[in-house]
Amino acid sequence: MRPLFSETSVAAVRLVIAVTFAVATMLVDYRLGALETVRQVVKTAVWPVEQVANFPSKATTGLIEWAVTRTQLVNRLESLALENERLRTEQLKLHTLRAENAELRRLLGVRERVNERLLQAQIERVSNDPFVHRVTINRGLAAGVQMGRPVLAADGLVGQVVSVYPHASEVLLMTDSTHQLPVQITRTRLRAVATGTGRLDQMELRNLPDTVDIVAGDVIETSGLGGRFQPGIPVARVVEVIRSPGQPFARVLAEPAAELSTLTLLMVDVSEDGVRQ
Amino acid sequence: MTFALTWLVTLLLVSLPLPMALAPYLPYWPILFVMWWALFQNYRLSMTLLFISAIPFDVLYGTVLGLHSLLFALVAYMLTMLGPRIRQVNWVRQSAVLFLVLGIAALLSYWARTLTGYAPELWVLMVQAAISAVVWSPMRMLYAWLSQFAREPAEASQ
Repeated sequence: MRPLFSETSVAAVRLVIAVTFAVATMLVDYRLGALETVRQVVKTAVWPVEQVANFPSKATTGLIEWAVTRTQLVNRLESLALENERLRTEQLKLHTLRAENAELRRLLGVRERVNERLLQAQIERVSNDPFVHRVTINRGLAAGVQMGRPVLAADGLVGQVVSVYPHASEVLLMTDSTHQLPVQITRTRLRAVATGTGRLDQMELRNLPDTVDIVAGDVIETSGLGGRFQPGIPVARVVEVIRSPGQPFARVLAEPAAELSTLTLLMVDVSEDGVRQ
Repeated sequence: MTFALTWLVTLLLVSLPLPMALAPYLPYWPILFVMWWALFQNYRLSMTLLFISAIPFDVLYGTVLGLHSLLFALVAYMLTMLGPRIRQVNWVRQSAVLFLVLGIAALLSYWARTLTGYAPELWVLMVQAAISAVVWSPMRMLYAWLSQFAREPAEASQ
């Protein structure tokens, strides 16, 4: 006769208990976001492991940089000198524009943008999960990074800080399928929400009417709504507008302005007040 | 000691800095780790240990906390039940059977990710399952070697 409490049933009971706890943990983390402290503690604990894993890559990069020839260095110096000259000329123009802008703001009675401060950071690792677009950067609480801070690259917006640890932070890229961003079309000032699609080279504007005035090539920038991002940061460029007959909404696909797959250096906006008018 | 060493090696593999484009073609290291333990050392496993050891993988992958605990519990249960039959066969058949187990874990992962706001693609999870089944044999040897390396004095004298 089969025993009532066989080893199999004990294992099954343990499985049911473990599954219940796991699902409960998932729901608490996803719905309530109440496990951020656990995440921070665990991330700090595994930080040495990440450093060990990073060591071969860092050592190789260091070795390659050390082995650069004199000719290569001279060439690089020349190109940097040329770039520097160009940037100095641009800066002169920028000074004039800034003064004009300040005057216009004064006339319109709009508050000046104050204490803009960008913190340079380097990507240490990217998530190896194919559906999660998160990167770890080498700046954390110690450098003044806070949750929700916008992260930029030279060409445009990259994402925002979602977790902060003592020596590192996690940045959720704007192409992650859980990321939503208030944006506007630069040409028409039409407001929309840009959603990540889970692909590094694609974003989508959803729920726009079929008759909306958007064409391929339009530039998308942050609208400043929601209070997290400054208005006017380049986000993406429209690559395709799909209008299906009989459908009330158009699908707008866009390509991020920043090349997200090859990023190494980022800027974290650590300005004192979040969004400024 | 053996558990800690194999777990640390798996954490290292998960932490390797690799290009984002490679992510869909990487083996699912944590599941290979739990498969080895469930097949060869299951008498030393407990659900609590599995549950706690899975949390750092959630943090490193950036997934919702609890996802890997769920996958670990299911894979450990399936392999504890199937263990005696799988251990006897050669590595090719073993990989084929483990591909099925990995496929079931992939389906569960697909469901849990959809539940938590992600838009996963099933083919990516299945490709990962296939690649994990292919690298199962070398990983099994690595873990066996690590277990020999970390053998406690009490075990060594047996």
